[in-house]
Amino acid sequence: MTNLRSFSLRTGIFLTILSALVLGLIWGFPYVRAQTGVPPLETVTIELPPKGSPMHPPFPILDANGEHVLKSGRPMSTMRTCGQCHDTNFIATHSYHVDMGLSDILHRRTPASGEPWDVSNGPFGRWDPLFYRYLSQPGDERLDLSTAEWIMTQGIYHPGGGPAEISREGQLLTQLEPDPTHPETAILDATTGQAKPWDWRRSGTVEVNCILCHTPNPNNQARIQALKEGAFAWANTATLLGTGIVDKTADGWHWNPNAFGPDGKLKKAFVTIQEPSNKNCAACHGPVHTDPSQPAVVTELNPQTATVGQVFSGQRISKSGMNIQGKEKLTRPWDVHMDRGLSCVDCHFALNNPAQAWEKRENRPHTLVYDPRRLDIGDYLKTPVHDFARGETAQHPLDPKSKGTMRRCEDCHDAKRVHTGVLPYANRHLSVLACETCHIPKLYAPAIEAYDWTVLMPDKSPRVVYRGMDGPAPMPGGDVPPTVANLVTGYTPVTLLRHNRTGMPELTTPNWLYTLIGTTSKGERTTSKSGGDWIAPYNLITTWFWVYTDANGRVRPVRRIDLEKAWFDGDTYAADVVALFDANRDGQLSPDELVLDTKAKRDLIAQRLAALGLKNPHIEGRVRPYSVSHDVAEKGWALEECTACHNTQSRLTRPMQLAPYVPAGVEPTFVKDTNVVKTGRMVKKEDGLYLQPDPKDYGLYIFGHDRIPIIDWFGFLLFVGVILGVSGHAALRIYAAKRRKHAHAGSVEEVYLYTPFERFWHWLQATTIGLLLVTGLLIHRPDFWPALSNYRYLVPIHNVSAALLILDASLSLFYHLTTGAIREFIPKPRGFFDQAIQQVRYYTYGIFRGEPHPFEKVPGRKLNPLQQVTYFGLLNVLLPLQMLTGLLMWGEQYWPDAIQKIGGLHTLAPIHSLVAWLFASFVVGHVYLTTTGLTPLEDIRGMITGWERIEVPEGKGSHEA
Amino acid sequence: MKRRHLWVFGAVLLLLVVIVPIAYSLPRERPPDDPQRYLQRHPVPLNHSNLIQGPFKTPQDVTKECLRCHPDAAKEVMQTTHWTWEGKPVKVPWRDEPVTIGKKNQINNFCISIMGNQHTCTTCHAGYGWSEDKPFDFSNPYNVDCLACHADMSVYAKGFSGLPAKGVDLLAAAKSVHNPKRENCGKCHFNGGGGNNVKHGDLDQSLLLPPPELDVHMGRLDFQCTDCHRTQHHRIKGRLLADNYTIPYEEQVHCTDCHSQRPHEDDRLNFHTKSVACQTCHIPEMAPKDPTKIFWDWSKAGQDRPEDHYTYLKIKGEFIYKRHVKPVYRWFNGNNKYRYILGDRIDPTKPTIIDEPAGKITDPTAKIFPFKIHVAIQPYDKEYKYLLAPITSGPGGFWHDFDWDKAFRLAEPITGLKYSGKYGWTETWMFWPTTHMVRPAKEALQCEDCHGPKGRLDWKALGYPGDPKEWGGRFQLNLVPEGEK
Repeated sequence: MTNLRSFSLRTGIFLTILSALVLGLIWGFPYVRAQTGVPPLETVTIELPPKGSPMHPPFPILDANGEHVLKSGRPMSTMRTCGQCHDTNFIATHSYHVDMGLSDILHRRTPASGEPWDVSNGPFGRWDPLFYRYLSQPGDERLDLSTAEWIMTQGIYHPGGGPAEISREGQLLTQLEPDPTHPETAILDATTGQAKPWDWRRSGTVEVNCILCHTPNPNNQARIQALKEGAFAWANTATLLGTGIVDKTADGWHWNPNAFGPDGKLKKAFVTIQEPSNKNCAACHGPVHTDPSQPAVVTELNPQTATVGQVFSGQRISKSGMNIQGKEKLTRPWDVHMDRGLSCVDCHFALNNPAQAWEKRENRPHTLVYDPRRLDIGDYLKTPVHDFARGETAQHPLDPKSKGTMRRCEDCHDAKRVHTGVLPYANRHLSVLACETCHIPKLYAPAIEAYDWTVLMPDKSPRVVYRGMDGPAPMPGGDVPPTVANLVTGYTPVTLLRHNRTGMPELTTPNWLYTLIGTTSKGERTTSKSGGDWIAPYNLITTWFWVYTDANGRVRPVRRIDLEKAWFDGDTYAADVVALFDANRDGQLSPDELVLDTKAKRDLIAQRLAALGLKNPHIEGRVRPYSVSHDVAEKGWALEECTACHNTQSRLTRPMQLAPYVPAGVEPTFVKDTNVVKTGRMVKKEDGLYLQPDPKDYGLYIFGHDRIPIIDWFGFLLFVGVILGVSGHAALRIYAAKRRKHAHAGSVEEVYLYTPFERFWHWLQATTIGLLLVTGLLIHRPDFWPALSNYRYLVPIHNVSAALLILDASLSLFYHLTTGAIREFIPKPRGFFDQAIQQVRYYTYGIFRGEPHPFEKVPGRKLNPLQQVTYFGLLNVLLPLQMLTGLLMWGEQYWPDAIQKIGGLHTLAPIHSLVAWLFASFVVGHVYLTTTGLTPLEDIRGMITGWERIEVPEGKGSHEA
Repeated sequence: MKRRHLWVFGAVLLLLVVIVPIAYSLPRERPPDDPQRYLQRHPVPLNHSNLIQGPFKTPQDVTKECLRCHPDAAKEVMQTTHWTWEGKPVKVPWRDEPVTIGKKNQINNFCISIMGNQHTCTTCHAGYGWSEDKPFDFSNPYNVDCLACHADMSVYAKGFSGLPAKGVDLLAAAKSVHNPKRENCGKCHFNGGGGNNVKHGDLDQSLLLPPPELDVHMGRLDFQCTDCHRTQHHRIKGRLLADNYTIPYEEQVHCTDCHSQRPHEDDRLNFHTKSVACQTCHIPEMAPKDPTKIFWDWSKAGQDRPEDHYTYLKIKGEFIYKRHVKPVYRWFNGNNKYRYILGDRIDPTKPTIIDEPAGKITDPTAKIFPFKIHVAIQPYDKEYKYLLAPITSGPGGFWHDFDWDKAFRLAEPITGLKYSGKYGWTETWMFWPTTHMVRPAKEALQCEDCHGPKGRLDWKALGYPGDPKEWGGRFQLNLVPEGEK
């Protein structure tokens, strides 16, 4: 004892000293370092680069011949000027912004749209019904948009180069001779309707415009003006107007000698070259709001910006200048990333920018998180790839080689960590849903719903329908921006299946159960494998337009000039048009009257088109999805209501209006060149045409939404039937007991029937099964008690109860097997039927006459034959089946493919529900039968205390234990 | 016999077995910051209307009556600057002798100085009878004005020399006493500098009935001043910058008196609290309702021009008032770097900063803090090169005779500052910390308000190499000595 004490004392002192030393070292170390290693504070300064362009050196501006512009007075050549240091040829040939689909034409690629009028996948060659003008092809009967006019119109969204310099055969446009019969060397004269020759040598072409994206204040208005005037060669120079480098007067362009130093280089103050800012991107991609002190207002609703209704702003919606319903409560930023100071190029970076570059997922070794090998910064600046990282949006065929190059949400955010513990089945949700589905719950700006080119409004524009905006569609050119004049209500995007990376989803075999019961909307469904497909939010834009077959057998959209002739005589509607359309006979055509709602109206326009020489004019309609991926909401503003999707009215099946009407009854078709899978069906309702998505089409089972009514009805009726049955039985018993005078036929004896383990086992089962039934019902039918149906709590309770039940069942199985108590549950074949009939007779007859139980409970033989067979089925069939289906449903989040092989949730969930109904019915019968003891509550008391008073019929002695 | 009640234990065990794992698996929300918990409860005020009988001939009689039951109250008040208008002597590096700083003996760049002008200025003194024409007995407890802070402001007001205004019913005022309310404090502090919101920018009469968007504490939660400016023995906590040199940490009011150090759900925001004061984001602008004075040109006073409270007054000169004033931002550790002491020499060609906040990027206790800067053109002695304190409201002062020379000569014996006979005009700045009118969270600044091309912070002026969003914060850049992080 003393030994031990002295040892521990010594050890104690030693350990104390040792730990003090260690602690002292650890604690003191930073101070030692602080005193010796850190330079005096005042010396810590960082040399800062001057404001403006941090390091771009001054440079001379050269013309296309390489001559200094001051000397030649000619337009600036960006290729020559910037090409002094940068590989401008490389840049021009590695940029989809430049290419715009020209290379599809050069390489004779088949466009993915499958439309007869498309020749490429890009804006140069793929007809966009929102812009309407069609880029005519060589050999077309009628000239619509020539290359030159494409530059004047769509070219305002094009940075130059590519189709603005090179012909569809790969020559320089300036090498082509003017020729009115060829769309590359002609232009449509709007007044005469005739093709005129276009002289490229006079107009010049548009080089890649470096200034537009790389200076802080490019003069885009002047650039657009030059393009519209056809002064292509000067377009890039025009971008410099206002910087003091170049001026324009009535007699032409003048380079300012004061902007240049004696060495011919621009003076430092004029060199403002920078990385593209949000403002640069905004020049073409829609309004980007950058000044937090000014309220954000979206005034433009042009097709470039209004396809989705995204507003690029970090400002709180409540602070913006728009007229939005319930604005004061929307205190979230328009886009959380914009608020956090991300700029466009942070995500949409140049693919070889060493600061951001990474490998496409599919090319990356899966073991590698970060590859530190980087392109030298100098090499990058010399030859920067101008293809920019992009996601896998619905604008699918655009720049296909770059799709999926952008970092996705989960490449920056640890989504699993954030959602685990908050979102039940986080894994499952994250593998099925795109982040945007919950994090962009609603858009608060108007978006285009439909463009109907089958009619022309009095100002010769199409009938345009916007969603998310109250009141009539605005007319172009109004004084007040429609977003201020009209109440913006915002819209909820539709959710569709997006197929990531590879091809279209494969079709699997039909779900046998659904086929059997015949409740599926389709016999087939597509797979929903983790990682590959996501449910993502979209805007759908529907367009209707006239097409015709030209003299060379080509199907082309009717030219706007022809369409105008079909509707108008000069500036007024043609007389026969007015006669047919003017419903109220006021001699005017109001927008309400301008709808092709009858066959006669359609035929009239078709006739008028045919009269213009257009063969087979008819109406086509298309539905195109546009990905919603900006205007991301942060936590607290994302969709957090489980019942938004898990409900009878699931958000995932929420229909989206395609148009308030269907012109001439032409149902539009879903475009093919997209990675969005059209699911569900189009539904004509009173207020228009809707797309009703159906997640069943891609095999998604949504708890709380999906169910097989037959099973629920069967289960429910069984449940009610049992309740009615036992109620009737009870009533008869009470009635019989009242008529019976004598109380007991035998003596009463108290027997110890149930061991503590058995009782605990029973009640644990009872509790967990009860919890499972209640939570299961609420999960299955959240619409019954919406107040209680919060999956965030129901699901963990259900799963934990199930785990307890499984644990409890396994342990008891072990107990029953090892102790042999299992025997009690196994019906003995000998005499079983006789005994069973005896028991049935008792319940249907004897019990009313006060007869004793035919089989009294004794320890070791507590169950009567009916109970035996019931429990045999319950414990050996139903319980294991329920556990198995439940376990597999739970396992769906971890092994989706394996579960899919055995039928997936669509098979498992209905079985699980059916068995649950059987269980519920059993519980009713079971509880009722406990009242058949000596007194109604005696059996329950027995199961609680273990001791039960039972009636021993006269003549029978006490049981042998 | 048979352990009949064993089943009770069984039932408990059963419930535990079921409830514990379920409770463990349920989603847990982050426990919310509960600042209410730290609020001090005010003693329930006793209704004095039946206790006080009067009659009172003089205001001092009222104080006498108060002291009958609160014998220590006057002594306590007399220890505070509300009474002395002068701090304790402090040593400042640019002076050999310790100096005291206060309204009593120093100047500001609004009405400049009380010296010789007490009759008017002491309207806001917590005492009775302080005037320039006779010495004031600072040791007489009966001169303490209890009513200024405790009477209902609908029945009490102060006039010249701090005496009750004409027509005040002293008995009614004395019967009305209660815990100080915003009306009491605001009577002086909302009107500092000679009018509503002239001085502070964040304290004005809109706080008497503030809407929730104006001030989350006083508006939504109906705070009184003393909820934050906790008071013990009449020592009211909280002072900053003006008329101070250094201020002990514990004498300042901090948001963290009630709020957590990491109050945001978002870590990115919580990382800010080491370098950015709460006020910086949560008070995006001053004077949201009533305009505040940001510029005062004394040199234009005395001219016969059309007068207007907000632009020109003959007695005071030219002003600029502004609403929605965006603060300026400086590093601030709660102390002054410099406080102009009467007689300090100035460089009249440059703005003189009368009270300069202390703190720099390398100081781990300093945070970026919002300030109002009040710019003034005020007189200085061309020969002695120090700021002058004129007699304005006092007898023969500028407000009566519009004669600057006379105003300075009359002041000479009172201030003890020699006047050479040659005066000029120089620019001065005063910093006023912006710390009231905390807006609801939805009105707070957003990231892009500071970070990004249009951000309101001048990062380089603050000592950063550039926007910390890209360059990293001061701790990441090792701008703060290690070990002090």
